[in-house]
Amino acid sequence: MAGLTRRGKGATVATTSPPFEVSAVRDVVRPPDPHIDLLQSWMSLAEVQQRVIRTLVAEIQATSGFVETEADDLSGRFQRLALSAQQQTGRVNSLTSLARSIQVDDQPIPIDEIARLLKDTLGDVVGKILLLSKDSMSMVYALSEVSANVGHVEKCMAQLEQINSTTNMLALNARIEAERAGAAGVTFRVVADEVRELSKKTQVLAHTMKSELAVVIEGIATGQATLQRVATIDLTENILAKERLEILLAALAERGSDLERIVAEAVSEAGTISADVNGMVTGLQFQDRARQRLEHVVDVLGVISEALEVNRQKTAGIAPELRELAPADMEWVVGLLNRFTMSEMRSRFAADILQGTPHAEMHRDEGSNSADGSIELF
Amino acid sequence: MKIEFQANGARVSFSGDFTFADHAAFRDIAGRLLEAKDETVVIDLSQLQFIDSAGLGMLLIARDEVGKTNRKLVLAQPQGQVKRMFTITKFDQLFTIEA
Repeated sequence: MAGLTRRGKGATVATTSPPFEVSAVRDVVRPPDPHIDLLQSWMSLAEVQQRVIRTLVAEIQATSGFVETEADDLSGRFQRLALSAQQQTGRVNSLTSLARSIQVDDQPIPIDEIARLLKDTLGDVVGKILLLSKDSMSMVYALSEVSANVGHVEKCMAQLEQINSTTNMLALNARIEAERAGAAGVTFRVVADEVRELSKKTQVLAHTMKSELAVVIEGIATGQATLQRVATIDLTENILAKERLEILLAALAERGSDLERIVAEAVSEAGTISADVNGMVTGLQFQDRARQRLEHVVDVLGVISEALEVNRQKTAGIAPELRELAPADMEWVVGLLNRFTMSEMRSRFAADILQGTPHAEMHRDEGSNSADGSIELF
Repeated sequence: MKIEFQANGARVSFSGDFTFADHAAFRDIAGRLLEAKDETVVIDLSQLQFIDSAGLGMLLIARDEVGKTNRKLVLAQPQGQVKRMFTITKFDQLFTIEA
C-alpha cells in the first residue's frame, strides 16, 4: 500500500508517499511537475474523502434509525411487560385474600374463624354424645330397677291370689258350719256370705291388676329392648372423628399459612420485577441521547465535506489544470474496504466510493436483519 | 371385660374391652366401690384396651354416684384408644386422671 500502512487491525500509520499518486505517463505534452501531481493527488483524495463521509453519514443515519426503531419496539414490549407485571401483582395480591378467607353470602369469613367454629361445634357434638351415653345408661339402669320391682309386684299378686283363695275356702267352710248350727247360725251365715262375696270381688280385682301388670311388664320389656338398641349404638367412631377433623383443620390452617407466605414472597418478587422492568424502560431512552450525538457527528461530517468541496472548487478555479483528478489508488481503496468485516456494509461502501452511487439495498438489508433476528457476526 | 378388685375394695382393675355388654357387671362394681370407706376410689385402666361410648357413659354415672358421698373417682393409667378417647372427650376436666 502506497499511502497508508496497516499496523495491526484498526491502526494505520502515515508513510512518506501520498495515497494518490499521479501517473507519470498521463501528461506527455507538459513536462512533469511534482507539485501539480501532488495537488491532483490531494484533490482526488478529497473527492474520495467526500464519498467516504457521505457513505459514513448514510451509515450513521441508517444505524441511528435502526437503533431508534428497535429501541422503541423494545420499550413498547417492556412497557407491556411492566403492565403485565403490575396486573400479575394484583392477581397475586388477590390470592392472599383467597388464602385467608372464603366468601359466604358475599361476606369474607377468615379460615381461622371457620376452624374455630368447627372445633367448637365438634366439641359440642362430642359433649352431647357423652351426655346421651350417660343418660342412656342411666335409663338402662332405671328400667332394670323398675323391671325388678315389677317382678316383686308379680310375686305379691301371686301371694294375694293365694290368700284370696284361702279366704274363699274359709268363707265356704263357715257357711257349711252355719247351716249345721241351724237357727243359731243364721247370723254367722250372713257373715260367711259377706266374706265370700268380698273374696269374689277381691279375686276379680286381682285378675284385673294381673292383666294391667302384664301390660306394664310388656311395656317395660319393649322399652328395655328399645333402650338397649339405643345404648348399644357405638359412637366411638363419631368421637374419634373429632380427632381426625382437628388434624385436618390444623393441616388446612398450616396450608393456608404456607400459601400466604408464598403469596407474600410472590408479591415481593412481582414488585421487584415491575421495578426492574420500569428501570429497563427508562434505560432504553438512551437512543434519544445516542441519536442527538450522532446528529452532531453527521453535522460535523457534513461541514467537513462542504469545506472539502469549497476548497476543491477554489483550487480548480485558481488552477484549472488541476480539474483533472488523479485516478484513485485502488490498492488503498481495496485496503480500506477490506477493513469492513460486514459484507453488506462493505458492498455499500464499495458502491458509493468506487462508483459514487449510494447502495440501493442499505435499508432492505437493515430491515431483513431486524425481521429475522440474524446478525452478521464480526 | 375382666375385673379384679384390690384387697381394700377401693381399687379395681379393668382389662380387655369395656362396652355396653358390661353394664350389669359394672353396676355391681359401682356398688362395691361405693361400699368402700376410702375417700378416693380408683379404677385402674392400664390393661384396658378398648372403651366405647356406653363405657364412657357408665364411668360418668359412677362419677356422679361417688360424688354424692363427697368422694372422688380416679381413673388410673389409661393407654392407647382409651387414652385417646379421654383426650378427645376432655375427661381430664371431669375426672382426676393419673398418668
